Amino acid sequence: MTETIDVGLTTGAPPPLGRVVATERKPNTPHEFHFWTALDSPVGIGTIVRVEGDQPVNGQIPQIYGIVVEGFSYTDLATPLHDVLGHDGTPGGASLAATHRAEIRLYTAAVLRQMPEEPLQPVPMGRVYLAADDDVAVALRMDGYLRGDNRTGIPVGVYRAGGTDAPIYLDADFLIGPEAAHLNITGVSGLATKTSAIEWILASIFAHFPEKKGSVAALCFNVKGPDLCFLDQPGKIDEADKALYEKCGVPAEPFENVQYFAPYKPDGFSLNTLRSNEQLLGNVSSLTWGLREVLQYAEVLLNKDDVDAKADALIDFIRERIVDRDFTDPLLGNKSYRVRSFADLEQWFKDVLSAMENRGNEGWRTHHVATIRKVRNRLSNISTRCAGLVTDDGGVSDLPFGSFQDRTVYVIDVASLEEDAQDLIFARVVTKLREHLEKRDLGVNHVIVFVDELNKYAPTDGQDTYVRKMLLDLAERGRYLGLVLFSAQQFRSQVHRRVVGNSGTALYGRMDADELATPGYSVLSPAVKTKLATLEKGQLMVRHPHFTQPIFVRFPRPAIMRGRDGAEQYPQAVDIELDAAVLRSLRTLDPSLTLGWLRDAIGIRDDEEVIRARNATLRERPADVKKFFQSQLRPAAVTHTPVRPLAPAVRSSPADDPYGF
Amino acid sequence: MLAMSAIQPSSPTHADASFRAAVRLLASLMPDAPIATGSEPPLESLAQATEPPRTVEAILIEDAAMRAHRVFEPPVAQFAAFLDGTQASRTLYSCDDGTPIVHGTAAAVIRERRNKRLYTRRHVVAHRLYANRRRVPGWLWARLAESGMELRDTAEEEGGDGSHPFASRDAAIHRLQRDREQAEHALAEEWCRHDDRPILIDGGISGVDTVARSSCAVGVIKSHRTLYAEGDALVKIFALRRGERSSVFRVASEWRTPVASWYLRLRDRAGTDPMWGLVRVEVAHPERVDEGAIGARADEVSRWILAEATPVSLPDGRWDKMVYGVRDCEEFLRAVL
Repeated sequence: MTETIDVGLTTGAPPPLGRVVATERKPNTPHEFHFWTALDSPVGIGTIVRVEGDQPVNGQIPQIYGIVVEGFSYTDLATPLHDVLGHDGTPGGASLAATHRAEIRLYTAAVLRQMPEEPLQPVPMGRVYLAADDDVAVALRMDGYLRGDNRTGIPVGVYRAGGTDAPIYLDADFLIGPEAAHLNITGVSGLATKTSAIEWILASIFAHFPEKKGSVAALCFNVKGPDLCFLDQPGKIDEADKALYEKCGVPAEPFENVQYFAPYKPDGFSLNTLRSNEQLLGNVSSLTWGLREVLQYAEVLLNKDDVDAKADALIDFIRERIVDRDFTDPLLGNKSYRVRSFADLEQWFKDVLSAMENRGNEGWRTHHVATIRKVRNRLSNISTRCAGLVTDDGGVSDLPFGSFQDRTVYVIDVASLEEDAQDLIFARVVTKLREHLEKRDLGVNHVIVFVDELNKYAPTDGQDTYVRKMLLDLAERGRYLGLVLFSAQQFRSQVHRRVVGNSGTALYGRMDADELATPGYSVLSPAVKTKLATLEKGQLMVRHPHFTQPIFVRFPRPAIMRGRDGAEQYPQAVDIELDAAVLRSLRTLDPSLTLGWLRDAIGIRDDEEVIRARNATLRERPADVKKFFQSQLRPAAVTHTPVRPLAPAVRSSPADDPYGF
Repeated sequence: MLAMSAIQPSSPTHADASFRAAVRLLASLMPDAPIATGSEPPLESLAQATEPPRTVEAILIEDAAMRAHRVFEPPVAQFAAFLDGTQASRTLYSCDDGTPIVHGTAAAVIRERRNKRLYTRRHVVAHRLYANRRRVPGWLWARLAESGMELRDTAEEEGGDGSHPFASRDAAIHRLQRDREQAEHALAEEWCRHDDRPILIDGGISGVDTVARSSCAVGVIKSHRTLYAEGDALVKIFALRRGERSSVFRVASEWRTPVASWYLRLRDRAGTDPMWGLVRVEVAHPERVDEGAIGARADEVSRWILAEATPVSLPDGRWDKMVYGVRDCEEFLRAVL
């Protein structure tokens, strides 16, 4: 009897797209397997597949989930020379061939998960299917945190392959804490990937962070350009983006609650931010600190070469005994000092040094005159180096520590500041956040701190700065407090390994080939590296504690105005006169104020006094702005026009003197 | 019962008759006997070609004398499918008197071309045991038959009373060869019955009447143990250049259906081999001999075959004569055997 067999596909069940293969030279292991597909299959690097074994193990057909990490293609040619000979060295002749050579698409996949998980065996031969939505959830162990009331999933994007369009969720317990925390994103500049991804994820967190886990706010440092200056303004997104938002269940809207903070320019009255357009000033506050705020972080601004043990001791003395305390000293006579500002401190230094000079003393209270002069020089310098942020007069306008709001973004624009001022702001703000979170009185339970250009603030090499120490501390201990670091940089390899190493979640945008060649990426296959080097805008590779392998996702363009668009639509206010600047500030409290009233109010008072009055008004936010502002100005002296008495004539002339003599 | 294997899982009702299954069976029947391990070379590689080389004077049905014809029109790919078969055999066990029990596999496949890619249309794989029943112990023959394996008695092929083991081995190979041809013929017949698109068959087509008379079957013969020309005619054939064909002649024998045939040079002659790139083509013999029509048909089919010269069948050693579709069939069969 002779039989022939039809070879065709059976109908009904979804057809497999591949089949597992293994040879002695290329065997399968518990963590890796190989499969082939048809030439037109939708499989590519990053595709998630499911293998269905042929033989049951412990009564259960094994299901293995894997992600494609490498691909191979070859024909039955033994050597390329055969193809050359076959076409007489004419490449164009190949298209005339009646038949295409037998060709293979062979893929290597890394195992994401095996079901059952025990016994852990090499991947068996079996059929390979494209992972459906449910498969993706199982493969990435998302099923553990997407169930019922304990759902803690935060959408990070959509995995797309073939017909599968599955949202990928991060586990809030591993993103915001307490199990793990922190997120780091890396990628080349100029593709708007890093900032966009952070904006998207913040929106996703605000939409999905479980209520029962408490409140969450974000604090972003805008370190360059107008990137984060228009988070509350709607931006343009297309239909594809809207579909992604819908798929992830995140509203395609700008952030509802955003508060901006920026120091003044050195002139002391113009806000040093690209968000200075009058139409947007409603939620922009100044950020100014006085002596007390700064002195606590003096070591941020004073490097170790400047401040030796002696100088450090004097600074401690000033901090503990002078600032905000009534201070008297026999050297200074009966004069009592209460130092509240840099101006007060400068006066105090002058008096101390003058008194020492008069008495011919080399030292005062164990401090040598040279040390005093050096500390005076360095501290006085701070208000100059950080002009606009640090005020001489001690005026303070700070973040609302203690009353942070849930689902609110606080942006501090430090883009135009000198490095010292940036460091000071970062150090003080993060320290204050930590202090308040420790005391549980910040106003929210969790704060996400976003820092861009991390390779500048926490570099692998270079001196151990105060800011780097803070970032390390934040990365290593922040999650216990609810203080979470979201960081970004162009070159991950140049960031301190303890900072990136402590980031539970890592995102990668398009990468530079040189960066990919560094040892930190050696765990990635060449194909994955190639994909990383050619990622489109809106694509990310995600590593997360629950995912045993990196996953590629798409995320939508943030539904907020891009920095560049915002800068065009809301151009930065031009530098203006003091009165106009003060009016602009005060109008945020009382829009009815007029320039005429302000000019009458300030009259000929000097700039410092006017600025001090403005700062006090902004700080107090009184109901009657006019009255309060005027009350902050010293009473004007009554001005009298001097009446010049007529000088008596030297000699009066007779009334009848016709010549006037 | 004929045991089958294919890409789809085998039906559980079919006995596993693969070489390994046969080894296991014999080992269970004779635990202490020396059974093949699988590392032995196939018998086909040991057997010598038995057909003696010869020349046969051709009966021309085109031209008065053998001559070269230039195929002027450009090659055109017209074959919808390719058919080829293969066989493989190994000695499983040698009885006490040296009589071999041979495991043989015959297979054939039709690979259909769709959008320049080749896909399996139909294939058949048959595993059998070949032995001279008179020389195999009766109990063993009976137990093998009970196992569900198909047995072929090679006594007829072996003939006589000679007891040389090689004679038994050659008889098994010949019987397997017939099985392979039958598999090929079955597939070719089925194609010709149900399809009218041209199919290129590796080898002659005269063995089956249906195929030999079909207008869609084209046989391409690579081996030239028999040359259908003598004297000047042979010189003319050897002198063919690339893209040239010989005059058409008739190939007929007592047991085969007559077919029309001609020689075609696929590639320029290289080196000392006069048959380099030379193939013989067989098509159905016309009902009525019309010289003009015969020539036109030969030109047409030659154009089809010349179109199959690329891609070359490298790294196969016969690449000068083998069209790629046939190599693809062989690769497929090698994979499934």
